[in-house]
Order: sequence, then structure tokens, then C-alpha cells
Amino acid sequence: MKILEANVGPLTNFEVLNFLKSKGASKDPTRVLADVAPSEYKVVYDYLVETAACNQTPENINEFLEKSKKYDLAKAEVLNIINIRPTTPVEIYSMIEQCDDRFGDTVEELVEIVAEVLPPPPTEVASDEVTNEANLETGNKENDNKEQVNEGKE
Amino acid sequence: MFHLSQVEHTLRVPPDVLNLPLAEAIKRVLETIFVDKVIPNVGLCVSVYDIVSIKGGFILPNEGAPTYLVVFRVILFCPAVGEVIEAKLQRSIDTGLQLSLGFFDDIMVPCKLLPKPSNHQPDPEMSGGVKWFWTYQNQQQYYIDSHDKIRFKVVDVKFREVPAEPATEKPFAPMVVIGSLAYDGLGPVSWWVDEAESEE
Repeated sequence: MKILEANVGPLTNFEVLNFLKSKGASKDPTRVLADVAPSEYKVVYDYLVETAACNQTPENINEFLEKSKKYDLAKAEVLNIINIRPTTPVEIYSMIEQCDDRFGDTVEELVEIVAEVLPPPPTEVASDEVTNEANLETGNKENDNKEQVNEGKE
Repeated sequence: MFHLSQVEHTLRVPPDVLNLPLAEAIKRVLETIFVDKVIPNVGLCVSVYDIVSIKGGFILPNEGAPTYLVVFRVILFCPAVGEVIEAKLQRSIDTGLQLSLGFFDDIMVPCKLLPKPSNHQPDPEMSGGVKWFWTYQNQQQYYIDSHDKIRFKVVDVKFREVPAEPATEKPFAPMVVIGSLAYDGLGPVSWWVDEAESEE
């Protein structure tokens, strides 16, 4: 085994979740029949489906990337905000370095954008029907979105 | 938290999967080799993302199977230092906390990285376990318990060599993430979210 490139590009939780969904991972009890490796996909899927990534769409994320540009956040910080979806200033403090110096009061604005643009995490697991539909719609756009994140990183 | 890595690997494709299309057969072999394994200094492999190129197909002398040189991409779990991640409490002992993501359990929060001042008391529900609590401004005590999601900040990711002799006392963990709760906004989610709501 040879590692050609250790880090080709970061992925958001949403992208990983979408990839696993496209391979057939789901909460459905019949998932044992799906053509997915039993150990890892399902366990990772179970974790991701309970995070904020569950209801996100490429549109949401692109919109957030667009709106967060003016705050001059590092790529890793944007990624972290998308993954966790902090909705109070105190939550966002831990994710942004030197938040006080860099943001001051605008951090409230940023939190509002997060709450407005990114959908809230599920309190209960959404019905399968809804997630499947969302999956079909978003499946094709997944790649475009990933490239964006990669480009930004370079 | 997740990223893609490009890897090259020479692998033998056993005859029993050769009835599948080649790319699929190779993917299946790759999955058995890599998925759920830690690649040293790179991360935990979650899934094979795609295959970039397939070369070769030699049948080596004395082998009943072709050997291919494959370049492929994998999804890896390797937290970046400084990243904030949500996890669940796995174990609470007097030297600190162990957190779990479900698919990855080796996240340690040593007691010196808990919010200050923190103390612990014996946990009646778990023998040998303790319950940690954070005393805020000498009055309010906040407990760290297992009902809640816990946010931690990644301080370090350590990869360890496989020991020559298997350790008997503890299962070997090839990748250990050191986390910290000692910043505002970290710790059980309810510490911060409920408070903010009641202020409003």
C-alpha cells in the first residue's frame, strides 16, 4: 500500500452521509439486505443521521458558503460550522479562533445566518419517504458541491 | 472530520469474485482490506469512495488469481486539531472521560482538560465509575452524564505502532484522539443551549 496523497480534500458530514445513502444505507430494518458492508457504513450512518447533516441539502450549504464569505473564516472553520450548526454565540466561540478579536459583535449576525440558512437537526428521525426523495434530488449535485470545498482548500 | 485520500495498492483478486465486473470485484476486495481499519498516520478508513485507475492483471507463477495495481480514493475519518465534534459519553473514570462516536471509541478527555474547576464523585449506577461535575462560579454544579451529546475540541490525534506482543490488559487502540472540554461552548450540549434559551 502506498499513500499517494494523504488529504485530497475535506468532506462535510453531509457529503459522507449522502455517499452512504447512495450506497443503500438507511434506518430501515431491511437494511441488512442492502449491498453495504455491515460494520462500518451502518455505524457511521447511524452517527451521521443524528447530526445536523441529516436535513442539509447542497443548496443550503452553497448558500451558507456564499453568505459566510464576507466574514473571512478559514475553510476548516466553515466546515466545522456546517457540521455542528451552532445556533448560539457561545457555541460558535469554541469553533472560531480568537473569536472576540476577529468578530466582536458580528458573531451574532453569523449565528443568525447559520440558524436561517442551515436546517435544524432532526429531533426525531424523519420518515424514510422524505429522506429518500431528498436523496434523489441531491444525489447528482453532490459532486459539484464537493469540488467547491476542495477548490477552496487549495 | 472526514476527508478523502488517494491510495495505491497492489492486490490479488480471488477467482470467486471474478464473475463480477472487474471494477466491482476490485472494490469488494478493497472493502474487505481497508474498511474499518486504521491507516497509520492517515486515519480510520470509513469507505471506498471510487477507483481512479486499474492497471495490470498479471497472473504470477503459482497463483490462481490475477494481481492488479489499483489507485483509488477512500473516505477517512481523521479529526483535525482544533475541530469541534459531537460525541457520546462512553466511560467516566477518575482519570478522565472516554467518548464515543458510535464508530470510533478511542476519544480520551484527560482530567486536566476538563472545564475548571471540575471534581468527581463515585457514580452509584456504575461500579468503578465516577461522575464528573463542573462547578461554575462556586455555586452551580453541572454534571457530565450519558444522556447528552458532548462537544469536544480535538487537541491531538495519536497513532501508535502495533505492539510486537499483544497486550493482555487492554485492547490495542491504533488511533487515539485527545479531546478537551475546557473552553466555553464545549461539554454537554444542554449546558449551553438551555442557558442561552433561558436568557432570552
